[in-house]
Amino acid sequence: MTVDSEDFTEIGKPLPRREDRRLLTGQGRFVDDIAIPGALHAVFVRSPHGHARIREIDTVEALELDGVVGVFTGKDLNAWTNPLRLAPPIEGLLPTKMTTLPEGKVRFHGDPVACVLAVDPYTAEDAAERVAVTYDTLEAVTDAAAALAPDAPRVDDDLESNLVSRQSFSAGAPAARRREAHAVVEAEFHQHRQTHAPMETRGCVAVWDEGRKHLTMHIGTQIPHPLRGQLAGRLGLSESQVTVVSPDIGGGFGQKIALYREELVIAALTRHLKRSVRWREDRLENLMAASHARENTCRTRASVDRSGRILGLEFEITEDFGAYCFYPANYMSRVVAMILTGPYRIRDYAYEVKVALTNKCGSGPMRAPMAITSWVMDGTIDAIARQLGLDPVEVRRVNMLSPADFPHTMPTGEVLEDISPAETFEAAVKAVDVSAIRRRQGATCDDGRLIGLGFCTVVESTTYGSHFYKSAGIAGSGHEAAWVRIEPSGAVNASVGLMGSGQGYETPLAQAVAEGLGVGTDDVRVHMGHTDIAPYGMGSRGSRGATAGGGTLYLCARKAQERVLTIAAAVLGLNSADTASLRLRDRRVQRRIDDAWQDTELTLRDVARTAYLDPTALPEGVPPGLDVAMTYDPPPMTYSNATHACIVAIETATGRVVIERYLVAEDCGTVLNPVVVRGQQQGAIAMGLSGALFEEVVYDASGQNMSATFADYLLATACELPNFEILHMNTPSRQTPAGIKGMAEGGVMGAIGAVTNAVNDALAPLGVVANRQPLSPQYIRGLIRSAENTKNPRRHGS
Amino acid sequence: MDSRHDIELSVNGDTHRISVQARRLLSDALREDCGLTGTHVGCEHGVCGACTVLIDGRPARACLTYAMQMEGHEITTIEGLGGTDGYSPLQQAMQDEHGLQCGFCTPGILVTFEAYLRDNPDPTEDEIRDVLSGNLCRCTGYENIVAAVKKAAAGMRGEPE
Ligand code: FES
Ligand code: FES
Repeated sequence: MTVDSEDFTEIGKPLPRREDRRLLTGQGRFVDDIAIPGALHAVFVRSPHGHARIREIDTVEALELDGVVGVFTGKDLNAWTNPLRLAPPIEGLLPTKMTTLPEGKVRFHGDPVACVLAVDPYTAEDAAERVAVTYDTLEAVTDAAAALAPDAPRVDDDLESNLVSRQSFSAGAPAARRREAHAVVEAEFHQHRQTHAPMETRGCVAVWDEGRKHLTMHIGTQIPHPLRGQLAGRLGLSESQVTVVSPDIGGGFGQKIALYREELVIAALTRHLKRSVRWREDRLENLMAASHARENTCRTRASVDRSGRILGLEFEITEDFGAYCFYPANYMSRVVAMILTGPYRIRDYAYEVKVALTNKCGSGPMRAPMAITSWVMDGTIDAIARQLGLDPVEVRRVNMLSPADFPHTMPTGEVLEDISPAETFEAAVKAVDVSAIRRRQGATCDDGRLIGLGFCTVVESTTYGSHFYKSAGIAGSGHEAAWVRIEPSGAVNASVGLMGSGQGYETPLAQAVAEGLGVGTDDVRVHMGHTDIAPYGMGSRGSRGATAGGGTLYLCARKAQERVLTIAAAVLGLNSADTASLRLRDRRVQRRIDDAWQDTELTLRDVARTAYLDPTALPEGVPPGLDVAMTYDPPPMTYSNATHACIVAIETATGRVVIERYLVAEDCGTVLNPVVVRGQQQGAIAMGLSGALFEEVVYDASGQNMSATFADYLLATACELPNFEILHMNTPSRQTPAGIKGMAEGGVMGAIGAVTNAVNDALAPLGVVANRQPLSPQYIRGLIRSAENTKNPRRHGS
Repeated sequence: MDSRHDIELSVNGDTHRISVQARRLLSDALREDCGLTGTHVGCEHGVCGACTVLIDGRPARACLTYAMQMEGHEITTIEGLGGTDGYSPLQQAMQDEHGLQCGFCTPGILVTFEAYLRDNPDPTEDEIRDVLSGNLCRCTGYENIVAAVKKAAAGMRGEPE
């Protein structure tokens, strides 16, 4: 499809968001705001141990309490529901099975063991405290190394070991490159456990209609249709007996994708009791038991020549996946390995991916499931520069793909096209004025601060097509579905299978429809989040919203415009082949006469009236109505790119990292709505910085979660984050509708890398390297102290 | 524990006669007994600020306040902000500057700054960030919220944009 983005009239406008009015006036509608008369309230009883056998669950005292309707355990729920079996045909991945509630043993602190239902949440809480569970505690494994030790206690008794997934790959001859190399540079990267922490925790309201045998599930979910399929399957219902309705969502970031056991319990109890049931977890549960993410350790070994050129790269990643598999365990780490080389010219490459089960909350994708990728790659470049005494900017230049290299096939077979890493990198270098910072670094040895500059170039995999899923060994489809309906009055309704969780989809997606159809954005309403209304699509994950969702809507709207013009041609008495000389613009049918577009007497409304109310006037072969649907499977993978630059000052006395300046040059192709895109860039960078600097899920050696409040799990506040300078670049994709490429996760990837690279640039004169996050004052101060001790072993005793 | 008390809550100028247990949180009373669901609960332990309301004009955490303590006090929630055309200057600035995404934290932020700007018409960016640090936002990175507060303040002082 040839698209000249210069001609767009609706796509690219900085329109304010439609959601804002309701959200700014307290009229938003989140799950907890939906009143369902007579609904029972659920509270879960959770394991206080990291690993233990359940000996007995005594519910007598709880049931005695006034207002308690029932207490249900694994024995009940597992009889009423089917387990989750994950056994995709992926080499090296062990099949797993998870029941709805555990019966034999609990596997992490927070594992749900019983559900209490009562007439109000206070009573349910009281009753939950009276449920007496007796446990025999077991030894817990709380990190990947311990989990993979030969005699480690097993997290999942059904598996022969805790190594739930392992894959390896090699292209070219990295071992041979190592032998030929001028130097071999090794580097390590430890990413700590984090959690999504959406401001709205999980929750749902389930309503069972006994007369129709139908379940309606009100739940904030990023993927309404796949969730419906899961619910139906686990409950033994048909997909026609389940409706999923997603109201406003207070943030998801990947946490609201899986069907969690608690939600399934609520649905099952609703059906069992034939009464509506609601559940809203508290923050402790959310931090402890919803979903965690990111914990992995990476090692790289780069074989390089004198100039720092990478001749070969070897990569190992080991992920701590927690206790349960809500996703195939290879899912996140394998993608890191597949796209690691990103913007750099590397041919000889090998990886090994290992995923271990541990006695912690199960992991899942969190905004940028492949978050660590760019830190590892650009951190490796910095390690090369340090070891060889080269300028890190020059080492990047030596290895960076140039415009002439595209399309570029990565060693894993992934194809990069229509991206501009060299351009974003040079733009960022120019904007920060590297030599001025180097001069400052030379001059400011003695004011108690160390200055550092870090770069991180990101190639962000945004939109996964079905072919990528297949080649990455991930079960799933990448297609999306849409319909566009022009009603008899000419009003335009549209729908898509996505569901936003705060991004602000309603406006940009309406812009995509308006552009494709030839109407104003104000004329279009996009309906999402209701499985009986929206077509079956794969929902919102990754950064697929714009390319898969916006792209499908745009194509569908173009098809609708074609239909409108076919009818218009007939009404105007033109030959049907003449639609090429017609177009719809601002709801008017226009005709090209002598290279100029002129209004005809027809409007969209006239054509709609004919289509619905005068179908005998339609040309042959054109069906009545104006209702167009389509599905679309994007290319195997769409990539955006960016370069982040971060300048930090480290206070040597305290170890505190202060961000002085933050800048990103980003190329995400055609932008549907720059207001929304800018918000996504800011939000993603903020999440990356917050994670790299402050957040950390902490378990003690027995598997106790020590970070289950916002006083312990620290999110960055307004005082810790800087303003972000954003340089826009624009290389539309030639492979996707309207040239859209997507974004929203790369900011996390770049931020993690840029801030850590900046810290290491600042620490370089001391000869120490920060290779783990969070970059807390304690950690940084410890590194500085170790450097001081090496320099003056006697003076510093502590 | 479960004896109930009949109380009057004065919220946004309206009087709500409700019956509550002594332990009922103000946040629950507002949302469930008064039907004012604009006040959100993000942590229930006083850190996130989503539940912030005004009690006699001063910001307070509704999740750390019992409904019974509120007799004789004036409560203002998000539903009580804004003029006849719907938006206060701060609400308008939040929309103009794209100061919200999911909007879950937004009511607490609006309520906090409606009070703050009344007493501090000309805050610096550092002062705004300092006050805003009492409200967690997972979506925006705060930059646009700060810009919105600045813009609203300038507008309320009558300065041209
Ligand atoms: S809900 Fe009250 S401060 Fe978080
Ligand atoms: S807008 Fe989502 S938490 Fe602030």
